[in-house]
Amino acid sequence: MNRLNHLDTLKIRPDESVTIEYLGKPFQGAAGDTIATLLYGGGVRIFGRSLKYHRPRGLYSLNGECSNTLMAVDGEPNVRGETTEARNGMVVEPQNVKGDPARDLMGFMDKLSPVLPAGFYYKMFHKPASLWPKAIKGIRKAAGLGKISPHFTMKGSFDEIYLNADVCVIGGGPAGMAAALAASQAGLRVILLESRPWLGGFFDYRPGLYDRGRSLADRVETDPNIRVFTRTSVIGSYTDNLITAFCRGDGSDAFDERYLEIRAKSVVTSTGCIERPLLFAHNERPGVMQISCAHRLIRTWGILPGTSAVFSIGDDLGLEAALDLADLGMEIQCVADVREDGQNEALADRLAEKGIPLFRGWVAAASDGDPKVKRVSLTAINGVRSREFECDLIVAGAGQTPVTGPLTLAGAKQRFDRRTGFFLPVDLPRKMHAAGRMLGYIDPDAIEASGDLAGVKAAADCNGADDSKIREAEERLGDLQGPARGTKFIIGPVKTGKTFICFDEDTTVKNVDQAIAGGFDVPELIKRFTAAGTGPGQGGIPGHNLPLYVGLTGQSPDLDPRPTTVRPPLTPTLIAAYAGSNHDMSKRTPMHEEQVKAGGRMERVGVWHRARRFGDDAAAAAEIENVRNNVGILDASTLGKFRIFGPDVLKALDRVYVGSMSRVKSDRMLYSAMCNEDGCIIDDGVLVKRGENDYYFTTSTGRAGSSAEWIRYHTRYENWDFHIVNLTDAFGVINLAGPNARKTLEKVADADLSNDAFPFMGYREFSIKEIPVRAMRLGFVGELSFELHVASSWMPALWKIIEEAGAEFGIRHFGLEAQNVLRMEKGHLIIGSESEQRTTLHDVGLGFLWHKEKREADTVGAAALRHTENQEGRLKLVGIEAQDPQQTPRDGSIIVDEKIRGYVATARYSRTLEKSVGMALVESELADIGTQLEIFEGEKDDERLAATVVPMPFYDPEGRRLRM
Amino acid sequence: MALTITCPICGARNGYEFRYGGEEKGPKPDEAALRSPEAWCDYIHFNRCKAGAQEEWWFHRDGCGAWFTIHRDTVTNREIPGKEAGI
Ligand SMILES: [Zn+2]
Repeated sequence: MNRLNHLDTLKIRPDESVTIEYLGKPFQGAAGDTIATLLYGGGVRIFGRSLKYHRPRGLYSLNGECSNTLMAVDGEPNVRGETTEARNGMVVEPQNVKGDPARDLMGFMDKLSPVLPAGFYYKMFHKPASLWPKAIKGIRKAAGLGKISPHFTMKGSFDEIYLNADVCVIGGGPAGMAAALAASQAGLRVILLESRPWLGGFFDYRPGLYDRGRSLADRVETDPNIRVFTRTSVIGSYTDNLITAFCRGDGSDAFDERYLEIRAKSVVTSTGCIERPLLFAHNERPGVMQISCAHRLIRTWGILPGTSAVFSIGDDLGLEAALDLADLGMEIQCVADVREDGQNEALADRLAEKGIPLFRGWVAAASDGDPKVKRVSLTAINGVRSREFECDLIVAGAGQTPVTGPLTLAGAKQRFDRRTGFFLPVDLPRKMHAAGRMLGYIDPDAIEASGDLAGVKAAADCNGADDSKIREAEERLGDLQGPARGTKFIIGPVKTGKTFICFDEDTTVKNVDQAIAGGFDVPELIKRFTAAGTGPGQGGIPGHNLPLYVGLTGQSPDLDPRPTTVRPPLTPTLIAAYAGSNHDMSKRTPMHEEQVKAGGRMERVGVWHRARRFGDDAAAAAEIENVRNNVGILDASTLGKFRIFGPDVLKALDRVYVGSMSRVKSDRMLYSAMCNEDGCIIDDGVLVKRGENDYYFTTSTGRAGSSAEWIRYHTRYENWDFHIVNLTDAFGVINLAGPNARKTLEKVADADLSNDAFPFMGYREFSIKEIPVRAMRLGFVGELSFELHVASSWMPALWKIIEEAGAEFGIRHFGLEAQNVLRMEKGHLIIGSESEQRTTLHDVGLGFLWHKEKREADTVGAAALRHTENQEGRLKLVGIEAQDPQQTPRDGSIIVDEKIRGYVATARYSRTLEKSVGMALVESELADIGTQLEIFEGEKDDERLAATVVPMPFYDPEGRRLRM
Repeated sequence: MALTITCPICGARNGYEFRYGGEEKGPKPDEAALRSPEAWCDYIHFNRCKAGAQEEWWFHRDGCGAWFTIHRDTVTNREIPGKEAGI
């Protein structure tokens, strides 16, 4: 490894070697290397092939602005080699190539380019339409980026954090650091986001400014008010200063990537500039790189980017880089500067001292060499004279482009500014500020002062305006050099060859001309037609040049350049990072462990884990039989349970329940239902009265989370005095059901449980071995049953007591499958199974629950219940019996004749009845008893099952068993 | 939902904590108006969908559980500051 290890600006640790595998061979670099710098240091110059023409591509930027260095790393495609840190043992492969990118077998595509104009695929495969499906296969094979295996599983650990801050600063360069320090000095909590692994930005690779950047960074890093996130790229910026970002782990972090969501009172965007690519023939040939790329390679990574270079630049940063690279040992043959005048003369003098010719008003016209740069031709911008140079490196840049994404995403506009040549952010959203180089400042003092001003303004957003402090900061900035004149947009006179405006999509200037000739005169449209800026790097390469080319070359009447729209994610983000740690947000009942031990097959039902069945039998036949003949015990703790109380409680209950709730007696339950405003049934449950204006009610499991919200919503205008307490998690529920249920319970309860003392639909409170329970005599499964509500902490103890008491009566667990069959046999419905969005109270046969004497305006859904009571053409709930008991229709299968007439809600083979029965929603004309139905399961071509509409309930129609 | 919403009890909080409850339309019309299915349907289902300042209901689902109204500019998707929230 041949690095310039003596530079104090280095960010690698040369003593710590890192080895990766590339194309099957080991490559060694240093800790701190990116994949791209490690490979570049190891002699790799061609990193991949372009999307359309398979042109060789090399290291061009170091900021991830183009897809040139996208590679597959450990099977993960499209990893950005230039921004991803190398780690020991990484296996790296190039993409979109057959074999070594230096000798790609698809390279012939480049020769086909004359027959592949812009919009070629659109036009060529437009007609006939049948051509496209065939063509797409070939196109996809030749074009495209990385491949992902359908069996690929993302490795690594992902995390997410949600932060609040007074001030969030995006960009850890000099302006951002100054802003963070100013806000911190005002006593505010600051978050600073920086995409590189270190702070410093514009200062951190430049010999005269490195120390200054370092001392700023030291102050920021030791400031207790500032939390610094490096390796953190902003994804999006939204209403009211919501900033999303993701952070790459440094190798020792507990995560590989972490998603950040930050809410800040004020935001400072100081994202600086990227370089505007220079447009000339073959401007993306390996060996052409941006100024900051060449400069950072040597200063940050200690790598000489080449041996003999020609510079074609457009601002003083280019002159400075040429001098510094020359000082560090690279041969600089000459510097072409598109500016005819206006250079920093001190830099020009130093170039002259070193004997490096400076060609003012000259620019690169073409690069030559295959596959790497061997030659460059320079030309005067008027095209009169030209010269050629043999070289292995062309350092090219046309000026700067501000990075305004975080501002425009939040709603800022962009206005073309003729002095800087920038699209400057204007009409910034409230409490959002811009600072630094993105505003056109290039003087280091001015950049810092601009950051300071933004920090003071952000502090005012949080602490209240302090005009004098803002004025002072404005004055300090006003005394310094203002925004500099930007580099003019110039394309050298190009005779032949491709000039790429977008590397990712292989879009050339000629393609843009073709689009304009085709009538697309606005950048947004040209972008779509030519695909410029739609690749992985988005606007990184073409974002500035495309609108300038369209707006300033007189090709379009739309003379004021208009930028294209930036959208999130600003930086490509792994879906895994969005998913974060992906915690399973679920709940377990107090009996979870116990049921698992008893062989319970647990499954997710909404937010809960519940036992579907115990043992291997999917039909749960033994559990069903035991409930019908002995006694079963079910954990029903997931039921919604609420206390509602207060002077106006009955008004509130009458509002949401269809019944008249004042009819509830203190020792009996009242069964009722809730509808929405459309009269559609949304819930059912029971209500008990526990005291004066004090009630306890249950909801279905699925409504537990939204019932309080529902009741408060429908009483929101009333100012009624009542309160709701959600007791769902505070209470567990045991359902003890079967002919032996009373015998079991009598052994342990301190109350008279006889049918006279505690009849069906009765409510009692008593103790079981001193455990206080609220007992309800219900019959959901159609047998004698007791539903015991008990404090969650008592659940395991009570369960054990009852299991022991029931042992002699054959007690055993039953799960959801058994319950589902048992209640279906009894014709009891589950809201959501036997009803859907459109199903009214009448449709399921519960219309009798509606108390019509109540004022309609007082009851949610009453008006619609009246409107739909006798409405024709509705789906009605009926019982069905399959003709062939062995052929049970599947839940959800459709009932048909010439068209769809309904569907099966639940159907099972009933061992109790030795028939296949179920419930279905059918059109009212088909609802009469005895109607023959045809059921289509969609299995075989047109096979239909026959069924008949039969009366419900199927089991114990007189209801004797639950009243035993 | 990225916006912040000012709950009258909890103050300005992340919009993701709340559930939207529709435009403020006033209390339900009286009994007579509900007699016609059309009038009832208009009240329940029709919205003004105003572009600009709108009073609307929000529920502090992951918070205190209050229903209240705010004024929001539907064009900028921002709460209009200064307009007092009401219950
Ligand atoms: Zn609240």
